[in-house]
Amino acid sequence: MSDNAEFSPRIAAFLCNWCSYGAADLAGVSRLQYPPNIQVIRIPCTGRMSPKFILAAFRKGVDGVWVSG
Amino acid sequence: MADITGEEGDFTVKVVTHPRYVDTSKCIACGACTPKCPAKVSNDYNEGLDKRKAIYVRYAQAVPLKYGIDPAKCIKLTKGKCGNCEKQCPTGAINYEDKETTRDVQVGSVIISAGFKPFDPSAYVQYSYSKYKNVVTALEMERILAASGPWMGHLVRPSDEKEPKKIAWLQCVGSRDVNTCDHPYCSSVCCMYAIKEAVIAKEHSHSGLDAAIFFMDMRTFGKDFEKYYENAKRSGVRFIRSRIHTITEQADKSLMIEYATEDGQAKTEVFDMVVLSHGLEVAKTSVELASKLGIELKSTQFVKTTSFAPVASNRPGVYVCGALAGPKDIPLSVVEASAAACAAAGKLSAARGTLAQTKEVPQAVDVRGEVPKVGVFVCSCGINIASVVDVKAVAEYAKTLPFVEFVENNLFSCSQDTQDKMAQTIKEKGLNRVVVAACTPRTHEPLFQETLQAAGLNKYLFDMANIRNQDSWVHSAEPEKATEKAKDLVRMAVAKVALLQPLNEVKLSVNPAAMVIGGGVAGMNAALELAGQGFTTHLVERDAQLGGNARLLRITAQGEEVQPYLDGLAKQVMDNPLITAHLASNIKNVEGFVGNFKTTLAGPAGETVVEHGGAIIAIGGQEYQPTEYLYGQDPRVMTHLQIDAAMMNGELDAKKVNSAVFIQCVGSREPERPYCSKVCCTHSVESALHLKEHNPDCQVVIIYRDMRTFAERELLYKEARAKGVLFVRYDVNQKPVVKKDGGKLMVTVRDHILGRDLLIEADLVGLASAIVSHKNTELAQMFKVPIDEDGWFLEAHQKLRPVDFATDGVFMAGLAHYPKPLEEAVAQAQAAVSRAVTVLSSAEMSLSGTVAFIDQRKCVGCGVCWTVCPYQAITQDDKGLAVVNEALCKGCGTCVASCRSGAPNLRGFTTQDVMAQIEAML
Repeated sequence: MSDNAEFSPRIAAFLCNWCSYGAADLAGVSRLQYPPNIQVIRIPCTGRMSPKFILAAFRKGVDGVWVSG
Repeated sequence: MADITGEEGDFTVKVVTHPRYVDTSKCIACGACTPKCPAKVSNDYNEGLDKRKAIYVRYAQAVPLKYGIDPAKCIKLTKGKCGNCEKQCPTGAINYEDKETTRDVQVGSVIISAGFKPFDPSAYVQYSYSKYKNVVTALEMERILAASGPWMGHLVRPSDEKEPKKIAWLQCVGSRDVNTCDHPYCSSVCCMYAIKEAVIAKEHSHSGLDAAIFFMDMRTFGKDFEKYYENAKRSGVRFIRSRIHTITEQADKSLMIEYATEDGQAKTEVFDMVVLSHGLEVAKTSVELASKLGIELKSTQFVKTTSFAPVASNRPGVYVCGALAGPKDIPLSVVEASAAACAAAGKLSAARGTLAQTKEVPQAVDVRGEVPKVGVFVCSCGINIASVVDVKAVAEYAKTLPFVEFVENNLFSCSQDTQDKMAQTIKEKGLNRVVVAACTPRTHEPLFQETLQAAGLNKYLFDMANIRNQDSWVHSAEPEKATEKAKDLVRMAVAKVALLQPLNEVKLSVNPAAMVIGGGVAGMNAALELAGQGFTTHLVERDAQLGGNARLLRITAQGEEVQPYLDGLAKQVMDNPLITAHLASNIKNVEGFVGNFKTTLAGPAGETVVEHGGAIIAIGGQEYQPTEYLYGQDPRVMTHLQIDAAMMNGELDAKKVNSAVFIQCVGSREPERPYCSKVCCTHSVESALHLKEHNPDCQVVIIYRDMRTFAERELLYKEARAKGVLFVRYDVNQKPVVKKDGGKLMVTVRDHILGRDLLIEADLVGLASAIVSHKNTELAQMFKVPIDEDGWFLEAHQKLRPVDFATDGVFMAGLAHYPKPLEEAVAQAQAAVSRAVTVLSSAEMSLSGTVAFIDQRKCVGCGVCWTVCPYQAITQDDKGLAVVNEALCKGCGTCVASCRSGAPNLRGFTTQDVMAQIEAML
């Protein structure tokens, strides 16, 4: 990202397969539009969400982490 | 369904399929047709609050997700012009020549679940529903509050699309009313849905919505409903006991409500919006269908069933479930659906599996130890992906990724010819991992996994990159960024798939025997249904006699005598060669899990071990023993079960009772038991009618908080009023008082209309005593199932899985779940059997490969994982270390996240797999 460009945060989203991931699919079916700077990782349940994943994502350089389930 | 001919066991059902004008085998639900359709029509799914097109999918979650054309609105079909959708469709699915087809289906049983029709409130002229825009029905309110509704869940009123600050709900519109409509019954569900809508509307409001519910009796009788009602009160929802007689529209389209308070004052209040809580009725088409099929209806038009066979119609082999057989909510409809499946399958059990076909899957090649050779298939999905994402560029990029051996772009990756080709490619190129970049794994993962299996690969060596639903469809205005994102998603999927290992699906043998715990109405029905379907059944009853609480019950709400029925049931149980009744026995210990339980019983002959594949818990409940109202101090103060027993054995002669008082909610709806016992209002009314029948001059007074004679029980309440039974409401803060005055029994109650105390002399005081649970925590722990704070067994899902536990192979029925009338206990027993048979009828069960495993070298036996496991799938082995029972594991991964030493891991979603995706993210 160039320094001049407007800040666009990179977001890592950890979504539960059964609810939020389904909702993200439904947003597509409904053709809702949102910015593309979000990367989804599907997890089987938010119970699977380990703090390590959040730290790893930040270490990798994302600006925000969203866990939803 | 146009007609049914034949008889039980051999019906011919005539099924008419209306033309859809879209070939569902070709439609990929891409939605390209809809934007170009010029015909805008009222959207019935959103209750006409917005518009849809003539070619449409009824709602986003529709199954199957396929489009259809509304023939009455389509310009091509009505005028012969247009044809836009045909031009837009990338798969050629449009067929304007589609015709209605009729076919005959041979079946042994039929289940009718035609549902209900919401009452049209236009008939209430005083509410001006058709005239005032801001008077809406409760179903319209549901759509307004829904995220998929006309305003995406934003709380607005229809006239100006501004957020209302005050909303009123009016109850009993089209229910408990024989003047405006011929509906003497209560619709059962409206009190709860009105509270729910009020609570949700308050949540959606930005300005602290003022929500008021105008009601006659608040009927929150279901499991946890009373708590919901109390919480709503605490969150500020106002409850006003009054039936509204007039609504007048103001200049700004707000609505003035005129009503009378309980002490008779006239009041007016202005609301921005009024919601009519309309009731349930049987559709005219259902009445006609029933008449054609020879199915008997009640005076209310709902299908006639009995309390002892709650899902059987009068026509043998034809069953009913849901609101067609009486107004009811979702949990009970789901129970009845399973019950009807049980009843319908019962007599056909000999034919079970005869039409089933087994799929042959080739033996998977062992790829362990091989270098990953990844194949990437990038789908264009017609133009769904390709019109936004540069799929060629994504495919080129994929070739540069590590371990990628083969890349291809397909027009439709899911089409049959592509699937065949894909399987061929996997074999030819020796691919051992596959990534498909396409729609979404939630709909298409199983399909592609089958292709892997057909190619001789383990189906778990697969991952999908979601470049349609979560990319091209949601970033359609930013094709370059969407293409970059697709590359990211493919890179992440490749990084993960390279690490994936083949997983085993463990097969478990199933012992086709069942255990039923509790020999009451629910338990006996469950045992008989199981035996009827051919399963060996062990019925465990702690008493020496079968029957449970029903031994003390006189009649059902429909007036059927309980004792002859119970005797018949007990005899059938004892005579059935497949049922072993373990009387005077208790459960000592339970080992094992779904398919293979080993239960130790302690009985008169000592301990026995029984092996079984599934269990139904039907241990019932008990009557609360009151401490109030002189109970136990004066023999004239009796509980319902005592009165019933005394009426049956002749100790209580109804002819000699001249004055009787029934006090409701004794022990129910109290801080220590914050629930409604559901059956007591009806029970008091039944007893009152019995007294009136034998002595019409008897003065009967029922002192109540809310009369909860739900559904068609309302007719009994109506009859009681007509026969002169007096109903006096009391406030929970001013309870009635029972005193002895010399030899007389005197009841004092504050009349809220007169504002004065009433003094009633009573020969008999009936206490509508609560139903309490056995709070059997030991049994719950032995079967690894939860109970709630009131001691009721807690189902897996209160609405959708009402007789299941989260633990597989264990089910529940009857009062053990929550207080309920006899017919619901029977329906639940049948439902539990239906659910249990899904386990018992298979010789072996295939378990998912996505399960947790423990690296015991890292385990210290701290116990965090088996504490957090929601499925009780982790136990301690003899070394004190954690071990996963794959039969119980659902693959949630909670144990993995909980362990501080990293001993557990989840196959298919290992820490390494997810870390690889994170590493590949940017």
